[in-house]
Amino acid sequence: MGSKIADGKPNSFVLLNGDEAIARGAVEASVKVAASYPGTPATEILEALAEVAKTFGIYAEWSVNEIVAMEVAAGASMAGVRAIVSMKHVGLNVAADAAMTLAYTGVEGGLVIAVCDDPALHSSQNEQDTRYFALHSNLPLLDAGSPQEALDMSREAFLVSEKLQLPVIVRLTTRVAHGKARVRIREVARSSRKPEFDKNISRWVMVPSNAIKQHRALREKLEIAAELANKSEFNIIEDNGKEIGIIGSGIGYYYARSLLDTSQFSWLKLGFVYPFPSELVKKFASKVKKIIVVEELRPYLESNIQCLHVDILGKNKLGLSEIGEFTPDTLRDAFAELGLCERTALEETLDLPPRPPTLCPGCPHRAFYYALNTVNQFVSCKPEKCIGCDICEYVCSLEKEKSFNPVKSRIRAVRLDALSNMAVTCRVCKDAPCVTACPKNALRQSVESGIVTVDDEKCDGCGWCIEACEYGAITLHRDTRKALVCDTCGGEPLCIQWCPEGALNFGGKTTDKIVTGDIGCYTLGCLPPVNTVQTCLCMGGGISQAAGMVHAGVKDKVFAVIGDSTFFHAGMPGLLNIAYNKANVCVIILDNHVVAMTGHQPTPGSGKNALGEDAKIVNLAEIARSLGIEKVELVDPYDVEGTKKAIRDIMEYNGPSVIIAQRPCPLRLERGPAREVLKECNACGVCVEAFGCPAISLTAERAEIDPTLCYGCGVCETICPFKAIRSTA
Amino acid sequence: MKLDIIFSGVGGQGVVVISDIFCEAALIDGFDAAKAEIHGMAQRGGAIGAHVRIGDKVEAPLIESGKADIVVGFEVLETARALPMLKPKGTVVVNTKYLPPNAALACSGKPLSQEQLLSLIRARAGVVHEIDGFAIAKKLGNMLVVNTVLLGALSALPENPVQEASLKKAMASRLKEKHVEVNLNAFQRGKESVKFR
Repeated sequence: MGSKIADGKPNSFVLLNGDEAIARGAVEASVKVAASYPGTPATEILEALAEVAKTFGIYAEWSVNEIVAMEVAAGASMAGVRAIVSMKHVGLNVAADAAMTLAYTGVEGGLVIAVCDDPALHSSQNEQDTRYFALHSNLPLLDAGSPQEALDMSREAFLVSEKLQLPVIVRLTTRVAHGKARVRIREVARSSRKPEFDKNISRWVMVPSNAIKQHRALREKLEIAAELANKSEFNIIEDNGKEIGIIGSGIGYYYARSLLDTSQFSWLKLGFVYPFPSELVKKFASKVKKIIVVEELRPYLESNIQCLHVDILGKNKLGLSEIGEFTPDTLRDAFAELGLCERTALEETLDLPPRPPTLCPGCPHRAFYYALNTVNQFVSCKPEKCIGCDICEYVCSLEKEKSFNPVKSRIRAVRLDALSNMAVTCRVCKDAPCVTACPKNALRQSVESGIVTVDDEKCDGCGWCIEACEYGAITLHRDTRKALVCDTCGGEPLCIQWCPEGALNFGGKTTDKIVTGDIGCYTLGCLPPVNTVQTCLCMGGGISQAAGMVHAGVKDKVFAVIGDSTFFHAGMPGLLNIAYNKANVCVIILDNHVVAMTGHQPTPGSGKNALGEDAKIVNLAEIARSLGIEKVELVDPYDVEGTKKAIRDIMEYNGPSVIIAQRPCPLRLERGPAREVLKECNACGVCVEAFGCPAISLTAERAEIDPTLCYGCGVCETICPFKAIRSTA
Repeated sequence: MKLDIIFSGVGGQGVVVISDIFCEAALIDGFDAAKAEIHGMAQRGGAIGAHVRIGDKVEAPLIESGKADIVVGFEVLETARALPMLKPKGTVVVNTKYLPPNAALACSGKPLSQEQLLSLIRARAGVVHEIDGFAIAKKLGNMLVVNTVLLGALSALPENPVQEASLKKAMASRLKEKHVEVNLNAFQRGKESVKFR
């Protein structure tokens, strides 16, 4: 296996995706420094560069976040060499502070900012359009519609950057970044530049008196940039002498070309779109009678063309949305409406069960969420399975009262109607009404487990608790006249093990916790059946959202879940803030030693850097303590009981705290032996309906584990109440 | 010449690798090629598809609905899901393995049996090649070569203009040395499993 971007001969064709093409373009332009933070769909730019770094004498790094990457690239450029910084669209928000003022200082060595937008949110939290960031920051922008354009633009952007002494943005969208195409590669230029920093204080120190001058200089540069845009090789008119002209940028332009008979239209492909090439567009407009504009997301070209007083058919008139991405289908509909092409007769769609994204089999995040969800467990019953046999009652009375007498049971089988039954026991309510109702203060609820205990000394059998319980889960002992409440047999309820129908399970979970989320694989914990994560805003946002809720006065315990890499990226200021401002938030760092979602890039905690070299291992617990957190717990999420213990402990703790759940992402490791289901299984459903492992499926009779999907983590084995799962090894 | 193929399966089955290899091989034969991948946020277990277009000149990577010449399905439900992309009387190569989505995870849609899904596929396609890729892979002693079995089957279709030698070359350049032989065997088995009536 060779390198995709280093092996081909100049002028030959290779199959590259848009990211790899950006990397190849940078190599051809003899880039010296590359920095990035992983983010779909931009990750492969730095991956490709890191792979060939040694071959071409490039320094490549995974920075801890995008603004750091931007500053590293800026520093390299200030020292006179060419640099590239790459990120996804939302990463540019993080780096915006640096980018906005870099437009003033300008650059020395060419500086390219490669940004991938994600129309249709394939893997993002919003659909922002980076062309407007160019407008906002005054940074020139090239908009690539194919991997070939990505390569050519990447290479040329360095020249434009040096000509204007400005950073230049090259924008891709997911379909370009992750689409592969035949790309012609060029010669790799060799550079012999010596890095040197020109200590020009009035240029680099952006105090107001200097910055105002640089702002004027920026306006002058933009005039030159507009001239370059009007003459750019990426803005191409194909004049076929037809009445209808089509102007487009990005991949939408190419969809249009593949749908229509190209010879029947005149075309203007815009690639250098900021500053807007007004003169060129006017020239094109004068040659055609009607103009159609094809662009994804916001009407950037459209509004610029309207400013030229040119009449066009834009998004509204074509019925094309600003939301989501174009497909050939949506464009065909729009063109067919105008009579430009035929509609395709489509067969009716099929109603098929979806296959939504999910945490992978073996994922330690799932195990942690299971522990968090079930920290307050109770015995629950499926009415469709319960036959009202009362065995649970006998088992309970025997275990707890040493008598085979269902009236002394703490679980009660109830007949709902002629055909359905259900067993009822304590549901560990939050702020349990039975406890409040007791006039003798005889009932106590455990803060950590929610279990209600009865002090027999104080209980006088008044029965107020029975009245207060909405579930009818409390009874009075026939002989002693003391209240009876389920105590879950210390976590292994016997009634569940003896239920012949598998109607009882220990999957009952309480919802008295607020769990803010963050950005990474673990965000998928918002999906059923896990349903743990309740927010996802931006990198590092969960910790401070949690703090805000605490300061607002919410009563529930607030947890903030964040991955290790996201914590390094943007979580540390939030953690420092809760320590400093004393928020009773428990921050859970799910530490899998890797940036998993984007394809397993190293983190500052992994001991490797982008080049595969050994790196300093940064210790999360030490960071948490040094940021002022006094309560720091380490757990192994595969150890569900140990994890629950730590969570219960934290639930009683008042103040900022951290749980670090450490387990490497299993996708990077050899699989363990698959698990198999034994005949003891009675389809109670805990492994599927509460734990939610996608390798396990459930029929009416039993659970089944697919050996090709199972990663052998063994967590299902530990949580099965019937010991019905074991290793195949 | 133009050929549009949809590859459809479940994350982790090797859909991306096989579609890459097919494109690489097309390039070796001098065709233009473009591809796009459709996957969600999950690394494993979610639905995944790849659009592959090869021809003398390919403008854009996505295939229109109802225009794909071939659907290569790695699993029956995901094959059925790709059917609206297939042209009338188009060809389907399907691995008959059914991986039912976890009912607790899927929020809607009625469960279908493997046989129901296969009949949907038979009803819509012009030609269907049903291949028990898992059985073949098991015989070869490596469950992870199902994707290569399907590539072999695809290579045997009359629609396919890409040379077998180019496909093998592209495979060899993509695989680790120790995996080449078993994959070449899988390719051969796949090729042989395509029967014409």
